[in-house]
Amino acid sequence: MAEKKANYHVIPEPTGWAVRRSGASKATKLFETQSDAVKYAREDAKKRNTDVYVHTRDGSISSRNSYSGTNPKPPKK
Amino acid sequence: MAFDRNVFINCPFDKQYLPMLRPLLFTVLYLQFRPRIALETLNSGAPRVTKIMGLIRGSQYGIHDLSRIQAKKKGEFFRLNMPFELGLDVGCQVFGKGNWRKKKCLIMEVEPYRYQAAISDLSNSDIAAHGGDPYRVVLEVRKWLNREAKLNAPGATHIWTRFNEFMAANYDKLRAEGHSPAEIAELDAGELIRAMNVWLRRNRS
Repeated sequence: MAEKKANYHVIPEPTGWAVRRSGASKATKLFETQSDAVKYAREDAKKRNTDVYVHTRDGSISSRNSYSGTNPKPPKK
Repeated sequence: MAFDRNVFINCPFDKQYLPMLRPLLFTVLYLQFRPRIALETLNSGAPRVTKIMGLIRGSQYGIHDLSRIQAKKKGEFFRLNMPFELGLDVGCQVFGKGNWRKKKCLIMEVEPYRYQAAISDLSNSDIAAHGGDPYRVVLEVRKWLNREAKLNAPGATHIWTRFNEFMAANYDKLRAEGHSPAEIAELDAGELIRAMNVWLRRNRS
């Protein structure tokens, strides 16, 4: 459950959308729109072979993109 | 855990309130307090009000969210449990002795002054308006606990970020265990508290 590598999180904040790396005290970058933040995070995550979590207004996960090959498998139906 | 680290949480525990409940619980746990909720004792045989009174007696702090007491449609009843439990908490402080005199309450609402239409006795009380925004729950709970318990707590944005990281880690863990996204979205308060405690033990910063 512990996150060892620094994934990206696109997080809603009062002034817009922040792209933050796991455990970082400061935002990597701030954006006015969620779509701009997601675009930036995905492009940078590809270069770094890491993952991107896009959060909703309540902190839930709206999407997860893996560029590290660690995407958890969905349950078998 | 000791009386002075217990926080009685008086709020709805339904699906609609989960977006507010999750950051509320996380903020309390992050600041190293213990949230006490009615659900934790529902399986015992005692009447519900007796269990609630036990939680109130054992908690120095109380967080009361009155934002969902209003009936939503014609014919629906006003939700009275939350104002009733707030009254019990205030009564414990006013009529109790010793540690109970130290009790502190945070009352939350959607908008400032809206509650006065329903409970005008609370006029001049300290009410925090969260506007239905999960981030503002973190902000208001952190501000209140920091002041009342004389903490040196990190800022609300820091706690909000850690909360989002927890949500991501918990999502991965539960997906790997076979939970669907819909099941994850409805995880109840008891399971959430256990998962938050485990994550915070490993990741507190």
